[in-house]
Amino acid sequence: MSMVEPMLPSLLSTSIVLFQMMCVIVVFAYLITRTRFFSEVLDGVFTWKNQLFLIVLFGILSIYGSESGISILGAPINVRDLGPVVGGLVAGPLVGVMSGLIGALYRLTMGGFTMVPCTIATILAGLIAGLVYIVAGKKFPGITVAVSLAVIIEGIHMGLVLLISRPLSQAVAVVSDVAFPMIVANAAGMFIFSFIIANLKKEKETRGERDLFHSELERKNAELQIAREIQTSFLPEKIPGIPGYSLAASSIPAREVGGDFYDIITAPAKKTGLIIADVSDKGVPAALFMALSRTVVRANAEWHSEAREAIQGANATISADSRSGMFVTLFFAVLDHESRRLTYVNAGHNPPLLFRTGSDPVPLQITGIALGALADADYEERSMDLCPGDVLLFYTDGVTEAIDDQYTQFGEERLVELVSQNINLPPADIIEKINSAVSVHSGGAAQFDDMTLMVLKVGTI
Amino acid sequence: MRKRTILILDHVEIELMENILRVDESRSGSATIVSLSGRMDASSSPAAEAVLSRLIGAGERRIVVDMSDLDYISSAGLRVMLASLKRLREDGGQLLLAGLKPEIRNIFEIAGFQRIFSIYPSPEDAVSSFDARV
Repeated sequence: MSMVEPMLPSLLSTSIVLFQMMCVIVVFAYLITRTRFFSEVLDGVFTWKNQLFLIVLFGILSIYGSESGISILGAPINVRDLGPVVGGLVAGPLVGVMSGLIGALYRLTMGGFTMVPCTIATILAGLIAGLVYIVAGKKFPGITVAVSLAVIIEGIHMGLVLLISRPLSQAVAVVSDVAFPMIVANAAGMFIFSFIIANLKKEKETRGERDLFHSELERKNAELQIAREIQTSFLPEKIPGIPGYSLAASSIPAREVGGDFYDIITAPAKKTGLIIADVSDKGVPAALFMALSRTVVRANAEWHSEAREAIQGANATISADSRSGMFVTLFFAVLDHESRRLTYVNAGHNPPLLFRTGSDPVPLQITGIALGALADADYEERSMDLCPGDVLLFYTDGVTEAIDDQYTQFGEERLVELVSQNINLPPADIIEKINSAVSVHSGGAAQFDDMTLMVLKVGTI
Repeated sequence: MRKRTILILDHVEIELMENILRVDESRSGSATIVSLSGRMDASSSPAAEAVLSRLIGAGERRIVVDMSDLDYISSAGLRVMLASLKRLREDGGQLLLAGLKPEIRNIFEIAGFQRIFSIYPSPEDAVSSFDARV
C-alpha cells in the first residue's frame, strides 16, 4: 500500500498510477480469459471447479485492486470492485458475490473511516453484476452495458461512502476528490476486460463455424466412401469365363460417386445374361438405388425366361420405389453361347455398339424407357445373331461425355475410331485403351460421372 | 506445398462447374416459365431442382421449362425433370418442355423420355397449349 501522500496527488501522478494498474489488468485479463475454466463458463458450462477457480481469481483481482490504489485520507483510489463485477457479468451472482466477499474481507483488514461502505460496495458490485448477467439472458451483456455498469457501481460506491461514513464533511471531501478518477479507472479496467471477452466470443463463434464446416466436409467424405463401398460391393467380384467368348469390364467411379454398374448372370442351358446400367444422380441415394436395381433385375432375370418379361417386371418394382424421380438406364442381353444368338432389351441406355469386320458399327437401339420412369411401360425385345470376330461394346455416358477443360466431350466418334483401330486386341486391352484415351482427353478436368465399360468378343468355338 | 496448390485449383474448378447453369423464372399468362441455360449435370442440376421444387411447393401447377439455351443435360438433369414432372402430375399439374436443341432432344429420346414428357417447339407454343386446355 502506498504511503499517505503529504499533498493531494496531482492529476498527472494519479494518471501514471492508473496506467500501471491498467497494464496489470490487461495481463490479468488476458491470462484469465485464456484458461479452460473461463472458456467453459463463457459456453455456459458451469462446474464447481470452474466457478471456484473464477471466484478465487476475481477475488485476487479485487485484492490487487485494493493494494494498487493510492490512498487519500485512508480512502484509496482503487479498482477493487472490478474483479467482482467482471466475475458477476461472466459467471453470474455466485461468482460475483463470492469474489466480492474475498475482496471485501481484505478491505476490512485495511481499516479507515470508509471501511464499512467500501466493504459493502464490493459485495454489492458482484451481486448487481450477477443480476445483470441473468437479466441479459445468462450471458455476458456486451461492452457497452459492462462499462456503463462499472460507472454506475462506482456511483453507488460513492453514494454508500456519503451515506455511511462519518464525519460527513470528511466523507464529502474524500468523495469529491476520488469519485472522478475512480469512475474512470474502473470504467477503463472494465473496457479492457469486456473488449478481450468480446473478442474471445467472436473467436469462438468463428471457430464454431469453421468446425461445423469441417465436420460437414468429413460427413460428405464419409458419405462418398460409403457410396463407393456399396457400389464396389455390387459389382461382380470376377468375370466368369464363357467358352468361345472373351469378356472384360471395368467401372471407374467419378469423384462424386454415381450408380453405374455392370453384371454378368450365368444362366442354365449355356446362357449368360449381360447387364450394363447407369443410375441417374450421385452419392449414397444413387448407390442405394443401384443396389436395389441390380438385385431386382437379377431376381427378375432368374425368374422370367424372356428378357422382355424380366425387364418389364423389374421396371414395375423399381418404379414403385422411385419417389424422387430416380431412374436407371439399363441394357440387358441374354447370350446363347452355342447359337450365338443375342436377345436384348434396351431400357433407355445409350446404345451399345456392335463392331463387325467390314461394316460400320451398329448401335443396339433403345426398345423402351429407362427403368423407374414409368410404372406400366412396355418393353420390346430384339434378337440378333453374332458372328466370330464380332466385338460388342457396352458403355455408360460417363465415357462419351467425359469433358476437357473447354467442356468438349470425348464423344462417340472418338470412341468408335479408337475401338475400330484396336479391334484385334483382347477385350481387356480395348478397355484399357479407352480408359487411357478418355483420361488423356479430360486431363485435369473434374469428372462428374462414372465410366463403365464392358467388351464382349466372339471367338471361334 | 505442391499439394496445396492442386487443392486450391480443384476448388476453383468445382466453383466454375457449379456456376455453369443459369436458372431464370418468368410468368406468361397462367404459366411459369423456367429457363435453363448452360449445362445441366450432376453438379449444376441441384440449382434447377431447387427452383422447380420451390415453385411446385408454392402451388404452381403450370410450368414450362424452356431449354432453348441448354447445351447439355446429363442423367442427373433428366432425373430432376422427371421428379418435377411426377410431383406436378400427382398434384394435378403439368410440366411441359420447350425449345429443345437436337442434341438435348436426342438425350431425352435415348432414355425414352419423349414418351412421358410433352415437348413443344417454343415456350410460347407450350403456354398456348395450356390456354387451349382451359
